[in-house]
Amino acid sequence: MIKINSLTKTYGTGGKTVQALNGLDLVIGQGMFGLLGPNGAGKTTLMRILAGIVNATSGSVNVDGIDVNTEAGKMEVKKMLGYLPQELGMYPELVAAQFVDYMAILKGLDNPVERRERVENVLNMVGLSDNTGRKIKGFSGGMKRRVGIAQALVNDPKLLIVDEPTAGLDPEERIRFRNLLVNLAANRTVLLSTHIVEDIGQTCRDLAVIARGQVVFRGSPAELTQAASGHVWALTSSALEKPDHGLTIVSMLHLAEGTQYRMVGESAADYPNAQPVQPGLEDGYVWLMKSAGQSIDTL
Amino acid sequence: MKRFSLRYALMTYKLDQFYLPLAVFGLFIVVSLIMKDTPQFTNIARIYLGTVLPLLGGILAAYAILEDPALELRFATPISASRTLFERLGIIFISQAIFALFFQVIYTLLGGNFSQFVNVWYVQLAWIIPTISLMMLGCVCSLLAANSTIGALMVGMVWLVELIARGWFAENFGKYFLVFMGPLMPEHPDLIANQISLFVISAVLLLCSTALLRRQERYI
Repeated sequence: MIKINSLTKTYGTGGKTVQALNGLDLVIGQGMFGLLGPNGAGKTTLMRILAGIVNATSGSVNVDGIDVNTEAGKMEVKKMLGYLPQELGMYPELVAAQFVDYMAILKGLDNPVERRERVENVLNMVGLSDNTGRKIKGFSGGMKRRVGIAQALVNDPKLLIVDEPTAGLDPEERIRFRNLLVNLAANRTVLLSTHIVEDIGQTCRDLAVIARGQVVFRGSPAELTQAASGHVWALTSSALEKPDHGLTIVSMLHLAEGTQYRMVGESAADYPNAQPVQPGLEDGYVWLMKSAGQSIDTL
Repeated sequence: MKRFSLRYALMTYKLDQFYLPLAVFGLFIVVSLIMKDTPQFTNIARIYLGTVLPLLGGILAAYAILEDPALELRFATPISASRTLFERLGIIFISQAIFALFFQVIYTLLGGNFSQFVNVWYVQLAWIIPTISLMMLGCVCSLLAANSTIGALMVGMVWLVELIARGWFAENFGKYFLVFMGPLMPEHPDLIANQISLFVISAVLLLCSTALLRRQERYI
């Protein structure tokens, strides 16, 4: 169980400060939890605070009753942590098994026999059992991510934090990766941070949306989808100008009879031909961001 | 808990950080061979051991921590800052020590001697103290600036200023900070005070480096 109360994080001093987190409150239980938000919302900062890498400016963070704001607490949390950062740096000259083995040593797995067994297991779990002897520098982006998740799992963590894990992966790799995370969430807390709405929808029963360092939504993907009900329209138009009037175009498709737009907004009264449609998770997210006053680039 | 592996410490040590000292070592061996029968031969060992080796150690130490490609992953493990420093700086010191000892052996085989020094222990102190001093300077400056290059530049600057103005340093309060007193002025009356002072300063810089490295968010 993770309990976060009034968490703030300010970077910089004097006139050049950036408020990354601004009084964030959140409770996260076991299973897969999604953290959604635009770039710069504070997701990575939150992840790093939970991982004990970044210090909070104020507020409290408790992981299984351990205070992450203290040095001793950080060390305790790190012992039960698996962490896959957004920018995954590895030693390119090591082979996959060596890299995971080295991380296992850093995490305190002392017994060589048990460690070797554990390394084999996690590499097998991520589908790299045939590539354990290959140097990391020869791996594709997806394979490197899998090595990253293997090192995160090698200490059998109670808390797994993965930050933007599917960025840069091809569709097949993304699906494989999502399925892997869901499997792992069966007996631990998996915190998945992403700005890819689909990843959350496919994997999480529970999610939070963060914008400007605060939680602006907490609930299930179905609830987030439902939030946009009555605010999503489809319009086919042959006019050259794109629909506007406060509507956000979430998708557009060029057809023979004109361009088909999918739009999210308060009202489409200015477009009599616009037809209300069932919202999807992405529509819910866009509507939420519009409601929160977060700018969304229109297509 | 173990949390240290010499094997992986060596495997994750960038080889180019080994090639530079190796190349300089080779160069000084060649120079020793060429100047074997000249009066300058006696100075070659002092220059290599007391000035060049510490400079290389300082520069390598400046790049030792922050250039780790898996730094964020390492920060997420329960490894203490002091352990990270020990692992990364230890490898550099050991490699410098190997070069220093090999050079002494080869230099002696070529007919060189260390008669300027009181005994063999003073010869070792003549490279150990400057090497540790400049290594800690490079490390703390790179962590303070959160930039390895700035750490290396600081080492270069201190090295150059002290080398050029060593006479001034030796006659003033600066004698306690002159890293080259051991190798270049072994007969200086305040040599022991100088070495104790540099050792204490290095220890303080190590503590500062540990405190700085605990503030992990500065480096990611």
